Amino acid sequence: MTLSRRDFLKLATLLSASAALNACAPALRRLTDDLPAVPWSPLSMADFTALNRITFGARVEERARLAEIGLANYIEEQLDYEAINDLTLDLQLSTFNTLTMSANEIEAVTNQLFDGYDRERPINELRQATFLRQLYSKRQLYEVMVDFWSDHFNIFIEKEPCFYLKTVDDRDVIRKHALGNFRDLVWASAHSPAMLTYLDNQANVKGTPNENYARELMELHTLGVEGGYSQNDVMQLARCLTGWSVKEHFWLGDFVFKQDQHEPGEKNVLGLAIQEAGQSEAEQVIEHLALHPSTAKFISTKLARRFIADEPPQEIIEKAAQTFLATKGDIKSVLRVILLEGLAFVQPKYKRPLNFVLSALRMLNVETDGVAMHDPLMQMGQMYFNWTTPDGYPDTSDAWQGNLMPRWQFAFELIRNELPKTKHNLNALLDVASTGSLHTDVDSLTSLLLGTPLDRLTRDGMIDTVHSAGATEEETLQIIAASLIASPAFQWR
Amino acid sequence: MLETLPMLQQIPTKTWMPRLSFAPKNTAPRGDTLVVVFLRGAADVLNMVVPHGEDAYYALRPTLGIARPDNGRKMKDERVVNLDGFFGFHPNMSSLLEAWQSGQLAIIHACGAPDESRSHFKAMELMERGVDDERGPASGWIGRHLATLNTGNSSPLRAVGMGTRPQRSLSGSVPVSALRSIADFHLGGDVRALQQMRAALSYVYQNDELGQDTLSIMDTLQKLDPLNYQSPITNYPDTEFGLALKQTAMLIKAEVGLEVSAIDLGGWDTHFTQGSLNGIMPNLMKDLGEGLAAFHADMADHMSKLTTVTMSEFGRRAYENGSLGTDHGHGSMMMVLGGNVDGGKVHGQWPGLEDGQLIGPGDLAVTTDYRDVLSEVLVKRLNNQATSDVFPEYRPVIRNIMK
Repeated sequence: MTLSRRDFLKLATLLSASAALNACAPALRRLTDDLPAVPWSPLSMADFTALNRITFGARVEERARLAEIGLANYIEEQLDYEAINDLTLDLQLSTFNTLTMSANEIEAVTNQLFDGYDRERPINELRQATFLRQLYSKRQLYEVMVDFWSDHFNIFIEKEPCFYLKTVDDRDVIRKHALGNFRDLVWASAHSPAMLTYLDNQANVKGTPNENYARELMELHTLGVEGGYSQNDVMQLARCLTGWSVKEHFWLGDFVFKQDQHEPGEKNVLGLAIQEAGQSEAEQVIEHLALHPSTAKFISTKLARRFIADEPPQEIIEKAAQTFLATKGDIKSVLRVILLEGLAFVQPKYKRPLNFVLSALRMLNVETDGVAMHDPLMQMGQMYFNWTTPDGYPDTSDAWQGNLMPRWQFAFELIRNELPKTKHNLNALLDVASTGSLHTDVDSLTSLLLGTPLDRLTRDGMIDTVHSAGATEEETLQIIAASLIASPAFQWR
Repeated sequence: MLETLPMLQQIPTKTWMPRLSFAPKNTAPRGDTLVVVFLRGAADVLNMVVPHGEDAYYALRPTLGIARPDNGRKMKDERVVNLDGFFGFHPNMSSLLEAWQSGQLAIIHACGAPDESRSHFKAMELMERGVDDERGPASGWIGRHLATLNTGNSSPLRAVGMGTRPQRSLSGSVPVSALRSIADFHLGGDVRALQQMRAALSYVYQNDELGQDTLSIMDTLQKLDPLNYQSPITNYPDTEFGLALKQTAMLIKAEVGLEVSAIDLGGWDTHFTQGSLNGIMPNLMKDLGEGLAAFHADMADHMSKLTTVTMSEFGRRAYENGSLGTDHGHGSMMMVLGGNVDGGKVHGQWPGLEDGQLIGPGDLAVTTDYRDVLSEVLVKRLNNQATSDVFPEYRPVIRNIMK
């Protein structure tokens, strides 16, 4: 259950007014809280792992769906995300007004009272919405891709004026194109006021160009650092990008090309002679960069790293890159290669903090508004839009190991129900399968969290250890639940 | 039906961890505690330690340049703090003057790495791994130092990365822990619950080095009573950097076996209005200068066994850009603070800032490889002679920066 009583009433009214009740059936099922008869469908470890890559953590109903239709169909269903009904979530987010506003309107909100609350409101709403989407959206693969591109086109939200511009970037750049076309995505990002100000291009004017955005556009967004460009290409692209800026007065925060700040003359980027043509100079380069073979390889490698392994197999990268070029940057087609063919080569990946928190909450069917996760995620080092440099949060296992303490703290606080407005109901979850014995309850919990029960010796040893530390029967289950979340096994996806 | 897992501990643990195994080749007693401060984002070293004796500096930086020490038209705190007649501190680093004058601070200018990509991410990675290109070990140079030297110290706090994630330079076969705040390092709950949690964690992490290490640190730190630690020095900056230095001081004084502390000070990527006397870059210099000065004062009784090194992935372009910032450059600078440095001196060969002297698009040249400085610290202060393991395929030149 994710909705408050008020939301329930709102939804019920809406549903009764709707002629297409059947289309809303999944949302209704969730509201009535009826978990599938088999509490967590048995999946092979391969499918369980795959599901944990495609989603932010295998929820009970997703396990059931995957068991029902098989992995390939599940991937197709997730790729066709627009056909997935997400009404419950949409309703939950409908009170976050800034999500749908223009930059100018959001800026007005932040300026209303000149107090801290309004300054923080767009940031808070965006962070909370992102969390709720990742936690509750049924369009999980889409949300995983939104997260991927948010890293790839990272923007540090605290850099002025990104605190109000990032909301627009999130909606009109990342979310709009997350499963669309890469060329459109990089094009939109290049015209995004948040990106231009984050990487100082709003100050890139003729004379002595500011190279910051030009460099990261090639190094991080398209070709990759080994993609075959030179310092001279950076300087030439920076010249093309002079005058790409952001409106500062009426309709504050919109993109603007300032012709009077644009550097005249011919430019030459990556061997392309660019005739003097104002705004379209950089656009010609972006077209070239977006579908460059180095870009295809770079993007395919990063996607394979996210879904398959820290060191993904070369043949999958090659095939994904060819598909990227053949389809002119169609993200779904590239993903199909990586998921349908690549997941067979999956290697364990250490969960990033967000993934760790979300998977625990999703697997235990926790109810929360997400606010309580702010502090733990800060301590673990992965609060949304809080990475200062343009490379985005790291995506390899070694980057995240070595700070177990906040993860342990989170696990125990969660199970003790100490996180504000965050409730799990372990007993309700276990009741479906419980025989009343602690041993079977522990088995249920382990197969829920790790995909499969522990062997008998390990399980019994664990129970004995906690018992002999003085825990009662009920405490034992709690301590074990927390320890499973804190365990090495749960840190890996 | 369900497959069962053989053992909880056999679900991926260290076999999946990209750790490089070295058997310690050498045995030597513990040397200094090494503190490595990484200025992330490419610090503008030309404005930190200003070559005020060079006319080209003022020609290249009409707006950002800091006035000569003898410029009578400027207030005293708007001028370079002279060090040796040619170089001088930015006024926001004047707090380091005392360490300089006491001979415990050395500067190595025009220092850096050969990589010319001008990519933060590539340059940082190569520098933290201590290598020239993608080849070579994936572990970090500090990690390899710890792994190749047996000092008889098995403390879980042998190496600590201050922050939420351990620095790349620390990765290697020796367990390393990230420590954001000593005070946060506890599980919560009452004594009874704590015992139960500790027992359970100890069980699930029985075959996991990192988890065992974290548990030991938890136990060690609990005994330290961190909440009641009072530093005699109160002017640490109230920043993450100040906190990291203060906690390093606390761990050294508590004698918990700390050999290396890695600390980051980020935010130096100033393409836009970086500021000359006020602004982003000068604020960072203040944080750096005041932090190190407080640390130096706090650790006065420990200086004979302490070496602190600062580094940055590269420097910034010699000329300012059109938006009053600086773009990515090449040559950088290092500082070494300790009881055994040949201090009060700017080391290294100054390549100059004239047209024919700058390299690439207009950058300070590198005349001292950063590994020369680190190697000398390793050999002379940390008792590690195996610099060829720490910096594979590099032959350091000893520059006599350390006594």
